[in-house]
Amino acid sequence: MTRGLFPTQEIGSLAKPRWQLLGQRGEPLDDAAKEELRHWDEVTGFGAESPPTRDALLAGRAREVDPESVRDLGALFAIRFLETAGLDRVYDGEARRIEMYEYPIRQMRGFRFQGHVRSFDNKYYLKAAVVDEVRLEHPYHVDEFDFVRRHARAEPKLPITGPYTLADWSYNEHYLARQKGWKGRAARRAAQREFVVDVARRAIRPTIQALIEHGCRVIQIDEPAAGTHPDEADLVVEGFNAATEGFDAEFSMHICYSNYRDLLPKLLEAKRCRQWAWEFANRDTDGNDGYAVLRSLAEYGDTREVGLGVLDVHRDVVETPQLVAARIARAVEYLGDPRRIWVNPDCGLRTRSLPIARAKLEAMVRGAALARRGLEDPRR
Amino acid sequence: MIVRTGLTGPFPRPETLVNATRDLDRGRTTPEAVEELIEGAERDVVALEHRLGFDSVTGGYLRWPDLFRPFAETWEGFSVGPLTRWLETNTFFRQPILLAPPGRTPGALESRLPPALRADPESGRVLLPGPYTFAGVLDNRSGETDEAVIHRLGRTFAEEVRDLRRLGFRTFVFSEPLLVVRPPEGTRAAAVVAGYEAIRGALGSATSIVWTYGADAIPAFPILDRLPVGAVGIDLAETDVEKLPPAPERTGLGLGVVDPRTTLGEDPAEVARVVRIAYDRRRPSVVWLAPGAPLDLLPWEPATRKLHVLSAVRQALGDGSRP
Repeated sequence: MTRGLFPTQEIGSLAKPRWQLLGQRGEPLDDAAKEELRHWDEVTGFGAESPPTRDALLAGRAREVDPESVRDLGALFAIRFLETAGLDRVYDGEARRIEMYEYPIRQMRGFRFQGHVRSFDNKYYLKAAVVDEVRLEHPYHVDEFDFVRRHARAEPKLPITGPYTLADWSYNEHYLARQKGWKGRAARRAAQREFVVDVARRAIRPTIQALIEHGCRVIQIDEPAAGTHPDEADLVVEGFNAATEGFDAEFSMHICYSNYRDLLPKLLEAKRCRQWAWEFANRDTDGNDGYAVLRSLAEYGDTREVGLGVLDVHRDVVETPQLVAARIARAVEYLGDPRRIWVNPDCGLRTRSLPIARAKLEAMVRGAALARRGLEDPRR
Repeated sequence: MIVRTGLTGPFPRPETLVNATRDLDRGRTTPEAVEELIEGAERDVVALEHRLGFDSVTGGYLRWPDLFRPFAETWEGFSVGPLTRWLETNTFFRQPILLAPPGRTPGALESRLPPALRADPESGRVLLPGPYTFAGVLDNRSGETDEAVIHRLGRTFAEEVRDLRRLGFRTFVFSEPLLVVRPPEGTRAAAVVAGYEAIRGALGSATSIVWTYGADAIPAFPILDRLPVGAVGIDLAETDVEKLPPAPERTGLGLGVVDPRTTLGEDPAEVARVVRIAYDRRRPSVVWLAPGAPLDLLPWEPATRKLHVLSAVRQALGDGSRP
């Protein structure tokens, strides 16, 4: 596939529309949900591709609609939302997923959920312990991908939670118990290595294989936990390599809200990683160049693609196309080769309302075009 | 060997309280109903601590959003900042922002302590952030140097301790992970010692423990051994007990012997073996056994199992005498 400079892509989830949340619970849409559905149908045209579901929801007959067809409509909406915003690579906004940990773990054997841990304030996450060898019940995300593949007009890119993150967000009982003697730092580390590699080989790898067999060509491995323990960057890499070795697909690694310098140069040993999809805009503030870390990649001689986060997903302020273009220009300066740059939000936009997310994405697409023109004609 | 057991950090919320607080955020229950559940859960933790023979009780500090918020929200000079990752964990706290030299609001801390503790302060254990860690996590916009802030926080905590002593509290634990994560040196180390000197002046005969975790404590012993406190606690999941330096004088030693990073239960006999090694190397006046790091890294049930391990280790060591 030939592309111009600075192609654009999504990076993860979108907020679920209210009509989808109500509809999949079989609850009648209130006025706000109906208005939301009508509005985005007008903007993106997705409803016309599944009129019975849309019309039943608008007519207050949610109870008669199969929840799965509401999820289908939600996925279709997200695909068109991203495509009509102008993105080159899309997914379904993770319309069928609730979160990125519990669902994959529930597709595996060897885990037991332990209860909730407080993340902050009154926010908690459910955490499992690995109590036996990891085994995969069946490959997951495959049906979800099939739907996207059938419906997407732009190139689909599938996000999947990486082995290091799944292991780091779980308690390690089984592999730690196999370590002899006092369970100090060295024993914990050895046990964690076994755990990460087992998740990669026994669960992620067969899932990726199934996805590739279904036509999946671009896969983003999400490792948000990578920055939690910088001294375990080698485990992140080992998990990535074990999951992807020998597969013919385009792999990227998404990491966010981390000190990337702490992970280098270890991270660069991720052999089949073609693209680093990182967050930058969040740290690009007055007096702080959020993109300067790209110099580190140049210093280490790394020439892979960069998925350049140009949208801060934690603020409602919509970046101007000019700001996006300026950020891309800075990245070009640091990386040298503009062909290495993909343009994307810092992370999933589910943190923002749909109108804000849309405005940000449109600004991103316009900003990429501006940067493209600027490079073709430096006088602009 | 004199052995004491107890909590040195917050305990997790039970699942019923987890659900209730989520419902509160979604507008499905009332603050009064949640408060009733919190008080009930605090009483449950106190009862468990008594049942397991702990020397002082905490009630779990279930109502505190994080270690710093009670102070950032009530002390003068502070505001509450953005969510920030807590050490190398998947939990977060709101970063305190120091806009002006800190000053306490009398009575504010007392009102935030669990009612079960206020009712019986002599049995209560007060958990506080240590001045060095507090200074290390905050966003200092006060115009003062970090050293001055450390010292001033020490003096401010001394005022809190003095008031709580008047109410009858006599056990104080200062949470100081940054002492081992980023051991202070030079003028910063001197400020830490000065801060604890101020606190010592307010303690009188009360027990004081500085609890560290999150990193190997061995490199930090030059500063840990200078602190004028009753005991210093270290996390044995991070620290090699065989490398413990001899103690310059006979004080207490805290040993974090159960690990909240895993749900795997510790073997009490194996833990007792390691405790004896530590005892032989440091010859402490008292050994304080505790979780290595706060147990709220675990859900309620596994955390409760870990507390039972503490009690079993104490029994395995023989209660009150050198085995």
